Amino acid sequence: MKKDIRIKINSSNPSSILLKLNYKGISVYNVKETKDGLEMIIHQDDLKKIKRLFLLYKVDYIEEIGLYRVKNNIKKHSLFLVGCIFAILIFFILSNIIVKIEVIDEDSTIRSIVLSALEEKGIKRLSFKKSYQEYEKIIEEIKDEYKDKIEWLEINVEGMILQVRIEKRIIKEEETTSSPCHIVANKSGVIMMISTKKGVSLVNIQDVVKKGDILISGDITLNDEVKKSTCASGEVYAEVWYQIKAELPLTEQISHDTGKMRYNFMIEKNNQKTVLLKSRIKNDKRVENKKLFNIFGYSFYLQKEYEIKKNTITYKEDEITKKAISLIEDKVKLNNHEFEEIISEKVLQKEIKNNKLYIELFMAVKEQIGVKEFHT
Amino acid sequence: MQIRDNLKNFLYDQEYYIDLYQDYIHLYDYEKLVSLSSTSIEIKFKSFLLKVKGQNLRIKNMDKKEMLIKGLIEEMRLYR
Repeated sequence: MKKDIRIKINSSNPSSILLKLNYKGISVYNVKETKDGLEMIIHQDDLKKIKRLFLLYKVDYIEEIGLYRVKNNIKKHSLFLVGCIFAILIFFILSNIIVKIEVIDEDSTIRSIVLSALEEKGIKRLSFKKSYQEYEKIIEEIKDEYKDKIEWLEINVEGMILQVRIEKRIIKEEETTSSPCHIVANKSGVIMMISTKKGVSLVNIQDVVKKGDILISGDITLNDEVKKSTCASGEVYAEVWYQIKAELPLTEQISHDTGKMRYNFMIEKNNQKTVLLKSRIKNDKRVENKKLFNIFGYSFYLQKEYEIKKNTITYKEDEITKKAISLIEDKVKLNNHEFEEIISEKVLQKEIKNNKLYIELFMAVKEQIGVKEFHT
Repeated sequence: MQIRDNLKNFLYDQEYYIDLYQDYIHLYDYEKLVSLSSTSIEIKFKSFLLKVKGQNLRIKNMDKKEMLIKGLIEEMRLYR
């Protein structure tokens, strides 16, 4: 790129200057006539030629033009500019940092619980502020985690201070315990163990009970007359049966890291993710994101891209059967049947068809079946 | 052949052209500036001489191939 400069040639006859310049093939731009000559922009390389050409005239260099001028100005005021950029950076960083976390509640236990929960979620002193959506998510997570202690939670960011307001959950235990209730079976089964804390046990071990049967009564009777009604409490374990069908493919795709890892950067705003650099992992990959900082709702992430290799595994019949049984056991647990132990299990039906295993399993488990049922 | 010539002309920009605006003349592919005053400018092209007459005429930009003249243009004449 040619460097342009502004010069002034002092002369009483500007026409002759332009004619000479044209004759010599020198390019001139933005020519302006002044009272004592001509002002123009030329390429810096032509300055020597012009000085040689107009030996009798006064040729003054005025200033540099264009990008070079900007570059020189930046160079000249570099210290000031660096200072400004640094100040802006400091301002942005400080305005996005939390210097104090105030948990507003009288109960010090709740305060420490909330503070430690916030720290677990990445909200601590001298950490970057998060977006509104992230705070909302954290509030929901804390409320879920401490649902027996916290009724309501609010996070307010005022300047560099984060304020957390809490409404404690008050459990009205007295009301529930004073209301009369029975322990009833929530499913059918054979009684294995009874532990009565309050009330009268109406069933014995080895008794077959149906769903809805009263196991421990809250009514205390004398000569078939109800003398007092209380809320029965206790645990009743029974053998409960499940018959579950499942199907599982004989082949499974498993991926593992090859050891190749490349870094990348990502910006996220309103759940829209933009990867800054072109990915250098050409094959299959898995990505791990590490949040760097958050400014004006933009979240900056450091991305680790791991190259992975996918392998297809084909299971043998006994292997896939074991896997299916384990999956069924997990499924029973996931469906909130929190059984204590598996008493027995038996495969009722098993078939391999279309590269899939179809299995039907019978399970007998020891499970707590007693639940409170209030009555008037 | 005309298409070829037009294309060649478009791509190589070898032919001269003179653009006249409200108070500007833009010349391309001139050979030489012959004379210059505030009322008259003479420019030599390959096959003719262009005389521009007007008031307060002055050269704004000028390089080897192009020239931009500013002023109140009253007359343009070609001498072949």
